[in-house]
Amino acid sequence: MDRRHFLRVTAAAGAGLLVSGTASCATSASSGPVAQTAGTATIQSNLSAPAAKAAIDALVKAFNDRKGSQVSVNTVASETFRTQLPSYLTSANPPDLFTWYPGALLTGYEKKGLLLDVSDVWQTMGDYPQAFKTLSGKVFVPTTTYWWSFFYRKSNFARWGVTPPNNWTEFVELCKTLQGKGVIPLGMGAGSDSPWTASAWFDYFNIRINGAPFHRELLAGRQRFDDPKVKAIFTPWREILPYTDPNGTAIGFQEATTAMLQGRTAMFLTGAFFADAAPKDALEDIDFFRFPIIDPKVPLAEEGPTDGFFASSKSPHVKELKEFLTYAATVEGQEVYIKNSSGTILPTHPKAKDSGTALVKKGRKHLEEAAEITQFFNRDSSDALQPTADAALVKFLQQPDQLDTILTTWQKAAEQVWSS
Amino acid sequence: MRSSTSGRLFHAVAGTISVLWLLPIAAVIITALRSFDDIAANGLAAVPQSFTFAGFGDAWTNGGAGAMWNSVLVTVPTVFLSLALSSAAAYALSRFEIPGRRTIILLMLAGNLLPPQILLVPVSKLTELLGIYDTLIALIVVQVGFGLGFYTFVLQGFMRAMPNEVQEAATIDGAGPVQIFWRIVLPMTRPALAALAALAFTWIFNDLLWAITVLRSSSVMPVTPALLALQGQYVSNWNVIAAGSVIAAVPTVAVFLRFQRHFISGLAVGAVK
Repeated sequence: MDRRHFLRVTAAAGAGLLVSGTASCATSASSGPVAQTAGTATIQSNLSAPAAKAAIDALVKAFNDRKGSQVSVNTVASETFRTQLPSYLTSANPPDLFTWYPGALLTGYEKKGLLLDVSDVWQTMGDYPQAFKTLSGKVFVPTTTYWWSFFYRKSNFARWGVTPPNNWTEFVELCKTLQGKGVIPLGMGAGSDSPWTASAWFDYFNIRINGAPFHRELLAGRQRFDDPKVKAIFTPWREILPYTDPNGTAIGFQEATTAMLQGRTAMFLTGAFFADAAPKDALEDIDFFRFPIIDPKVPLAEEGPTDGFFASSKSPHVKELKEFLTYAATVEGQEVYIKNSSGTILPTHPKAKDSGTALVKKGRKHLEEAAEITQFFNRDSSDALQPTADAALVKFLQQPDQLDTILTTWQKAAEQVWSS
Repeated sequence: MRSSTSGRLFHAVAGTISVLWLLPIAAVIITALRSFDDIAANGLAAVPQSFTFAGFGDAWTNGGAGAMWNSVLVTVPTVFLSLALSSAAAYALSRFEIPGRRTIILLMLAGNLLPPQILLVPVSKLTELLGIYDTLIALIVVQVGFGLGFYTFVLQGFMRAMPNEVQEAATIDGAGPVQIFWRIVLPMTRPALAALAALAFTWIFNDLLWAITVLRSSSVMPVTPALLALQGQYVSNWNVIAAGSVIAAVPTVAVFLRFQRHFISGLAVGAVK
């Protein structure tokens, strides 16, 4: 047959190769940052969830429409972003701006000289509270924040005839009442791909009992996980374990959200981002209360993770990127972002308007009332320490009587992370 | 009587296995046809309450179309180039007394046994030095480089099994090495080439690791990292991801169906040898 036929096919394939070869050249010239010549700063973004992606796209569009400097945004999967961030930063020609959060990881990169000093952007941010400034250092510009709390459906609480608790005793009473009505009181989504959600419980018990300063010292390696003070926080945790979803270490955070929305579980300790996993019509029915006070003498602290941008010190587009950071920190920039997001995040600028729903207003007040803000386990420590917490806490949820061994193992694993 | 009982048993067992095998695929397709609000309200495992093609539209417009094209731009030249180069190498290694050819073949195979993970950083730095980081060319070069060893190994085994008489006859008729390769060896290798082409297409089309190692811009990402990018930091729209997976599976399935006949005969030829 077919030599001729074969040759024809080969020739056609060869021609196809040539065409696609030139086509891919064209693609690379127009989009590869390596070939980047124009004065456009690139933002490497990990906001791959549809709602968050729409928000950053809108922010960039609003900025570019001002006809000043131009930026472009490049979204990659958050998981890819997290693992590739070191190679992005150390490459010869890194992206100019990155979405991220303040914390130990950034401080490490700053010490290596990889991050750009953006102090002059902070000159334009006089309205920002000192807390954000301390948190960000010289290299970070915060743009949004959100809160953690117990979320529940108002209609379900009304149906069960219960009200949100004001302190720990009432909280345990509430759990008991709900269980008596055949509902699982506490949702948990520490299985699947979200074992880190269990850390929220650890963080809260620690900042309620030992206070935020001790919590930060512990996470920075200046205290020990097998300290009696750490062991003490597991006593109240054990008290409410019988009321926690027995499937809590098997299902992921998104399924746990569904369980709460359907009323199979009554309440769920989670971040405000969970609203992205809820159908729009359910959001009006959602309310929350703060993690109950255990020791009234401890100053009130809340988890309020903050997100924003940092820049690479190798960027050739310093003027453009600083102009963008300045804009992203203004009231206008933040309102554009919030308006196009899913609506449960809060602006960092104290004068910027939030989305205005009752839930968000309450969330903002919730954070303002706190004397101290912690970020979250991995943000206050490091992404390397997070897996040690995941292993320890999931084990505790499954075998609470093994606590001593768990804490010793945790301390050993943490020491390895700190010494590396 | 006995044979019909065992036949029935065979069908029952085989049928059960096929159903189990197809179950995940059915789950993905059903998820792809649901709306996000339905999944969020009732959970992934619930009985579907909605029917919509919106997930496919979302996946296609959210970077799916561009990513698909990028995948084609990478996969087609890579398959072609690697097969062209490795068949030439296999021809030389199998039909000629090249000094140290055993070592060369073993070296090529040994290269394949290295876990690619230890080469990620060097490869990424190398592409940067060459100035091709974040371009599709880089991905093509890397994919060709990593595929060559295995393809050459398979093809040289196949070519070695060809009878020497054919080559001798051609030489007597006055054909040079290039002519023999082009007119005799290549056409005879077609089953193996077709089987390898189908395999290589699937591997390269489904690769994620090298793509995220040498690429950084979403505009040049092929389909697998684009699928990953549909997952959010906290929340994922499972219907869109499922729809994207279905779309991404279409080309490989098509190629496989097209080459199925060659694939099976290619395997059989290898076995008889």
